[in-house]
Amino acid sequence: MKKPDFDVIIIGSGPAGVTAAFPFLKAGLRVLMIDGGYQATVTPPSKAFLSARSQDADQWRWMIGEDFYALKNLGGVSPKLRAPTHDFAFKNFANESQISSHDFVAIGSLATGGLSNAWGCGVARLSESELSDFPCSTSDLFRSYATVSDRIGISGSQHDDLSDYFGLDAWSQPPIQMDTLHEFLYTQYVNRRTKVTQNGFRLGRSRVAVLSGDRPGRSACDLSGNCLWGCHRKSLYSATDELTSLRLHSNFYEAHGFIVDELIRNGEILSVGARRNGTRERQAFSARKVILAAGTLATTRLALHALRYEQAVPLLSCPTGAFLLWLPRFLGLPRKPAFALGQLSFTLPLCQEISAFGSTFNVTGIPLSEFARHLPLRRRNTIDLLKGLLSSCLVGNVFLPGNLSTSTASLRADGSLFISGGYSDDIPALMTKIAKHLRISYGQLGAKILPGSFRMGLPGSDIHYAGTLPMKMNPSLGQTTPLGELHGCRGVHVVDGACLPTLTEKSHTLTLMANADRIGRAVASQMSNSQ
Amino acid sequence: MKIVITGATGYIGSRLTALALERGHDVILASRRDPCIPNVQWFYFELSSIVPVELPPQTHAIIHLAANTSSSHSVDDEAELFAARSLLAASQHVEAKFIFVSSQTSRPNAPTMYGRNKWRIEQAVISSGGWVVRPGQVYGGCVQGLFGTLVVATRRHPILPKFLPAPHIQPVHVDDFAIGLLRIVENDIPAGIYCLGSPKSVDFADFLEAIAKFRVRRFRLFVPIPVFIVKLAGSIRSHPAKSPSNIDRLISLLELPLMDTAADIELLELSLRPLPDGMHASGSIRRRCLLREGHAFLCYLLKTAPTFSLLRRYVRTVERLRDGLPLALPELFLRYPFFMPLIENHTSTSSRYLDEFNWRLDAVTLLAEATPQGAIRFLGSGSKFGIGISLLCITRAISGEIFWRLLCFISSPILKRWGRRREGEQ
Repeated sequence: MKKPDFDVIIIGSGPAGVTAAFPFLKAGLRVLMIDGGYQATVTPPSKAFLSARSQDADQWRWMIGEDFYALKNLGGVSPKLRAPTHDFAFKNFANESQISSHDFVAIGSLATGGLSNAWGCGVARLSESELSDFPCSTSDLFRSYATVSDRIGISGSQHDDLSDYFGLDAWSQPPIQMDTLHEFLYTQYVNRRTKVTQNGFRLGRSRVAVLSGDRPGRSACDLSGNCLWGCHRKSLYSATDELTSLRLHSNFYEAHGFIVDELIRNGEILSVGARRNGTRERQAFSARKVILAAGTLATTRLALHALRYEQAVPLLSCPTGAFLLWLPRFLGLPRKPAFALGQLSFTLPLCQEISAFGSTFNVTGIPLSEFARHLPLRRRNTIDLLKGLLSSCLVGNVFLPGNLSTSTASLRADGSLFISGGYSDDIPALMTKIAKHLRISYGQLGAKILPGSFRMGLPGSDIHYAGTLPMKMNPSLGQTTPLGELHGCRGVHVVDGACLPTLTEKSHTLTLMANADRIGRAVASQMSNSQ
Repeated sequence: MKIVITGATGYIGSRLTALALERGHDVILASRRDPCIPNVQWFYFELSSIVPVELPPQTHAIIHLAANTSSSHSVDDEAELFAARSLLAASQHVEAKFIFVSSQTSRPNAPTMYGRNKWRIEQAVISSGGWVVRPGQVYGGCVQGLFGTLVVATRRHPILPKFLPAPHIQPVHVDDFAIGLLRIVENDIPAGIYCLGSPKSVDFADFLEAIAKFRVRRFRLFVPIPVFIVKLAGSIRSHPAKSPSNIDRLISLLELPLMDTAADIELLELSLRPLPDGMHASGSIRRRCLLREGHAFLCYLLKTAPTFSLLRRYVRTVERLRDGLPLALPELFLRYPFFMPLIENHTSTSSRYLDEFNWRLDAVTLLAEATPQGAIRFLGSGSKFGIGISLLCITRAISGEIFWRLLCFISSPILKRWGRRREGEQ
C-alpha cells in the first residue's frame, strides 16, 4: 500500500491549528499545516496612535487604505472590519470557503494565523460546571488551559471579583495600566461594592492575551493605543507569531496559499483536496490523520461535505450588544495614550442559567467617524459634540451565552454551506434587562450609559461561533467523539470552535485552544503508540 | 489604418495624432520638423516646397491640416494651392482618401485672401472626389491656435470687448473635431463638404466669458464696442497685408457665415461636448466639479481649507468607488459650505440622491479624520483641551443644531422647490 505523504495534516494555522500542532510535533510525527496564506500587506503605524494621528501625513494609508478599503466596507458591522491593516485577515473568506448566509454576519479567515490576527484578545477559563457538557475529564482540560495560557502570554492577574470567573490568575502576568476613566470606575466600584453588587453585577480587570511584560520576540504593551490597527510590538497574541516556534521542529511542513475543499478517505489514507488560492490549480495531500482547524464555519463545511450530511446543524453564536458609557466628571480630559482593548470586565446574572459578560474599552484608538455616522445631528455639529464628549467616554460590549442563538448551518446540494441567522425570542427582553441593570450599576459608579447608545448586534457579529459538530460521549452523525473525531469519518478530528459542546458568554478562544491541545496530545500519543 | 497627417504638430494636428494613435491607427506625420513621437513615422513636408510628394503605399487616408496661419512664416497663396494639388495627386496615386481641413471663412468672395484661397483649394479637392471639412471655432485642450490667442488675451486683459451687433461663432472642441475627421477616415462617409461646429451659434462675447469663467477662472468685464469702429480701424490700414493680421482675422470673424452643421454632425455620429466641459484643460469639467464638491464637504467638516492631497483623495474615492460624477450641489453650497446643514437631511433617505449624499458625507468624514488636520479637529490634539473647550464644543453643537433645524423649517419651501427641480433634472 502507498504510504501517505504525512502523518498529520492540520487545516488552518489559527489558534486551534498551531495549538494542536505542538503535541504532534513533540511526538515526532510528520505534520503538514495548510492555510489560505494571506499575509499582512498594510504596515500598521510604528508610532503611538496619538502621535501618528497628529504627525503622520500618510496616516490614511493605514486608516483608510490605498484602495479605500475602509470606505468600501462602510457597511461592515465593526470598526475592525474597516481597518485596512486587517484586510488580509478577513479577505475573500466567504467566497473562497463557499459560505453564504442570511441574517448572519459570516466571518472567517484565510490568513496565516487566522482570526487571531484581528481578535479582541479576551481569554477566560470555563468552570467545572460550565464544562459539564464536555465529554472529557476536566483535569485534562485544565492541564491544557495551563499549557496554552503559559504559551500565549496572558495579563490581568489581580485579586478581584472576577478572579474566579476568569480562573487564569495562576498563569497571568500583572494587568496592563488602566486609563484615568477605568481607574476611576474601579476605585468607585471598590468603595461602593456592597451597593453596586446587589443585583449581581461584578467588576474586575479584563484578562487578555496581551503582554504586560516582555517575552522572547514580543514586547510588553506600551499603551501606544494601536490595538485596533495592529500592534507593531507584538504585545497582542497572534497565532502567526507561533510559527517561529513550530518551525524549530524539523518534522514541521507548511503549505501556505491553499484552500482545502474536500476530504476523501482511501483505505487507511486520508486525502485532502486543495485549490491554490486565487487559481484553479489543484493539489492533493495525504496523511493518516486530518485535523480540522479552519475556523468553525470553514471546518463545518468541510466536515458536513465529507459526510454528505445535508441536515441543518445548530450554530452557536453569542448575541451581543454595545453601548457608550459617559463619565461626566472627566469632561474635557485630554486624549492620552491608552491600551485599547478590554480594561475592565463585568458579569451580570440575568436569571438562573443566563448571565451576561462584557468589557469596556478606551475610545481613543477608534475613529470618531465610527460614532458620527449613528448620530442624528448635522455632521459638523456631530463632530463638535463628539470632540467635546468622547474623551470622557468608554465603549462597552456585552455577550450572552451562545445557546440563545437560533442560527443553523446546512450543506447545500452544490457543496456550499448556508448559514441562517437568528436569535431566541427572549433576546430583546434580555437586552432591555441588561441595559436597565447596567444603567443602574454604572450609574452608581458615576457613569451614564448615553441615551440611545445601547445597540444590539446582528447575529454572527460577535464572531464567537461554535458547536456545529459538538463532542459527545456517544456521537451520532454530524457530531464528534470526545477526541473531536468526526462520527462517520474515521481519522478526521475537529479541534476548533466547531467541536465545543457549549458556548458560554465568556470569550471562547482560550477554551478552544485548550481543547485543541487536549485532543492533540491524546491523538498524538495514540498515534505514537500504534507505531 | 495607415493615415498620413500634414500639419501634425499644430493645434488640431497634435490632438488628431494622439487620438488616431489611441484608436490604434498607423499614423505617419508630414511636417517641417519631426515631433519625435515613439513608433510614429515622419517625413519632411513643407507647404512652400515644389518637390512632388510621395505617399507610402497602402495609405488609407491623408488628412491635410497644414495651413498658413501665422504671419511670420508667410507662404505664397499660390504655393499653398500648389502643395494641396501635389498632395491630391499623390493620394490619387496610392488611392487614399483625401481629407482637407478648410475654414469657415472659405467662400469665393471672402473678405480675406485666406478665405478665398481656402475656397480655391476646396474646389480642387471636391472636383477630384475628396472630402472637405470646415471647422467652426475650434477650442479646448492646449493653449494653441486662435483659441490660444483668445485664452492669452482673456488672461491678460481684465476688460474685454462685447461687439455690437454680436458676431456669432459655432464652437467645436478640438477633440470632437479630431474624432469627426477620424470618423470620415474609418467609416463609409460620402465625399463632399462637411461643416463641424455647434449647430446653435454662440455670441462671441459669451464664448470669451466661458473662457474667462471655466478656463482662466477670473471675472472679466465686458465693454460694448460697435462693430463699425473695428471695420474703420481695418480700412485705415493702408495695404492689406499678405498674411492675415489680427484685425483682418477679427473682421473675418465678424462676417462669418452661419454653417448648417446639424445634419453633418448626425451623419458623423458626433456628440459635441458643452462649452463648460470643453473649456476645461482636461476636456471635461467633471473632475473640477468633484474637486469643488470635495472642497465644500471638507471645509464644512474641517472648518478650514483641506490640503490638496486630501481633496485629490476625495476625487479618487468618488471615481473608484462610486459613479465618479459630481452631485450637482447648488452653487450656494459649493461657494459657502457653511450652508451645508440646509441640505443635510438625516430623516429622509428615500431618494437615491440623498443616499449618495449621505454616503459621500460618511466617506468624507473618515477621509477628513485620517489626516493631521483631522486629528486637531476630531481629537483636539495639538491644542489646549479642557473642560472649557469641551463645554464650548458641546454647546456649539447643540445650539448649532437648533439654529439649523429652525432655518431648515423656515426655508423648507425653497428647499422643496430645489428638490423637485433636481428630481425633474434626473
